[in-house]
Amino acid sequence: MDATTTAAPPAPRFNPLLPYFAVFRTDLRLTVQSWVFRLWVLVSVVAAVGYGLYKFGIHREVGLVQSASEHTGVLLRSVGLVTLAFVSLLALSGVSGERGSVADSVLSRGISRHQYFLAKWHARTLVLLGAFAVLAAVVLTAYHFLLEPDVTLGGGVAATLVALAVLAAVIAWGVTVGALANGTVIGITLFWLALFGAIFLLSFLPDPFPSPVRAVTQMRSVLRGNYDPTEVAKLAGLFLTVALAGAAVGLVGYSRKDV
Amino acid sequence: MAADAAGLVVETSHLTKIYQDRQIALNDLTLGIEPGAVLGLLGPNGAGKTTFLRLVLGLHSPTAGWCQVFGRRMHPNAADVRRRIGYIPTNPQFPRGMSPIEYLDYMGRLFGMTRETRKPKLAKLIRAVDLLPQSGQPISNFTPGMTARLAVAASLINDPDLLIWDEPTHGLDVEARRGMLELIKTLAAEKTMILSSHNLSDVDEVCNHAAVLNKGHLIFHGTLQDLKGKIRKNHYELDLEGDQKSIAKSVQQVKGMKEVISAGLRHRRLELKLTDDVSNTGVLAMVFQTLFDNKVTLVTVRSIGMQTETAYLDLVGKEEQRGFARLYQPQAEAA
Repeated sequence: MDATTTAAPPAPRFNPLLPYFAVFRTDLRLTVQSWVFRLWVLVSVVAAVGYGLYKFGIHREVGLVQSASEHTGVLLRSVGLVTLAFVSLLALSGVSGERGSVADSVLSRGISRHQYFLAKWHARTLVLLGAFAVLAAVVLTAYHFLLEPDVTLGGGVAATLVALAVLAAVIAWGVTVGALANGTVIGITLFWLALFGAIFLLSFLPDPFPSPVRAVTQMRSVLRGNYDPTEVAKLAGLFLTVALAGAAVGLVGYSRKDV
Repeated sequence: MAADAAGLVVETSHLTKIYQDRQIALNDLTLGIEPGAVLGLLGPNGAGKTTFLRLVLGLHSPTAGWCQVFGRRMHPNAADVRRRIGYIPTNPQFPRGMSPIEYLDYMGRLFGMTRETRKPKLAKLIRAVDLLPQSGQPISNFTPGMTARLAVAASLINDPDLLIWDEPTHGLDVEARRGMLELIKTLAAEKTMILSSHNLSDVDEVCNHAAVLNKGHLIFHGTLQDLKGKIRKNHYELDLEGDQKSIAKSVQQVKGMKEVISAGLRHRRLELKLTDDVSNTGVLAMVFQTLFDNKVTLVTVRSIGMQTETAYLDLVGKEEQRGFARLYQPQAEAA
């Protein structure tokens, strides 16, 4: 062996997880900075503060007892559809909002479609569920102190967990539809039709079948701590399964789709 | 050159792309690109150039056929192959709110480059593309020239072996275009490049190979010399100086040569068309001798027209005229 042989240049060091975290981190930032996200938070805060102060006034000044669990349920019913609309729009625009040469400039680099889709899905899920969890915690705490304190910790956690599981399913399917649709407008139109159409149709179903309206009405007793933990876990598990199924469809479909 | 040993950098076989059973964007394209080639991808709008590039990058999946890059089949999840490719799309767009440093750092992370390799590389590239004063400013305020330079830097951050640039001089002013062409010449010494362009003079200047697409069909693939060889070569313009009578006399003598098809004089400029049957050097020597004998001075001599452009237009024109014949000789021209 020739002692003077030049050493081979070191092989470039690649971290295979870096592309995932690059898209994840960038999407976290872009989601928080988007006007749709800010508008959703603003609408929710204004509704919660306005409604809470109004009921607080009745509770304190008029002397009529206002139950925190009841009015949290009413608030949820009022802003629920708006929340679903905003959350689905934000989820859907995760992939579909980055089309054309912006998507080219990301997907033509060293990132696989799987990593890209997972990063988008995880980022949107984290931001939206995180924001909802914070809003829910603030509302429950504030209403507990301002109104008649009949919300239990366990009931509040159970109700929030179920709502988060529902939102997780909406986000997963939203990201998937956004990834597979050929345009944001057509995607959101189809998604809203499916989502609100399903809610509308399910509300006609008789008692043993799941109805969103009845579920929101039952929220009051759940918040008071009257719930079966097994049923709550089952419900949350069901929606999480729906979320995972949506993500799996998106993962497979997007890895075969032309961008 | 970091190409695979004795292998083609890009190889396609019967590559076909049909969009939603409605539009045939690429039709049975078979070609190979050797290491070190600078391939000019030519064709009119809608010829399938960008579709071809997107298939090479794995952004699109072929409807039929296959495409290999560095010996590996390209598909949307072939991230490890794309680590060796640098790409500039037409009219590159950037994520909003980012500065060049943030954008290049993002691109480096997308290639999986660790901080130790990424940060020094991006600093070097920002300096190289002359964006140091604007390195912290939002990209959204950049001029097209600055945007193009940033796109160049992004395509080089991973030190790629293959560069795919889709119309890199599109929208650039004269100075920026000149700078881009000089950069391509420099990079061509060590990289394999595919350049899609409408500007034939750019291709003529920097490329050594050409592929011509028309309506999704490959009608030529070979060296630029081969492309130019497809047109009539023996067509010259000579600017002359001397006594008008002597010039007229020499033109008459030139016209008398059997190897000269036509010789027209206009304002001391002689347009000369020679037959293809004989060596042009021999005929030109006789013409020069005639001019010398008549005491006429030759100021300039040049080959007529822009040869690449003429050859390209000839090819596209012939392809249009072939009609059903192209069904039976699909690869005749492309060979």
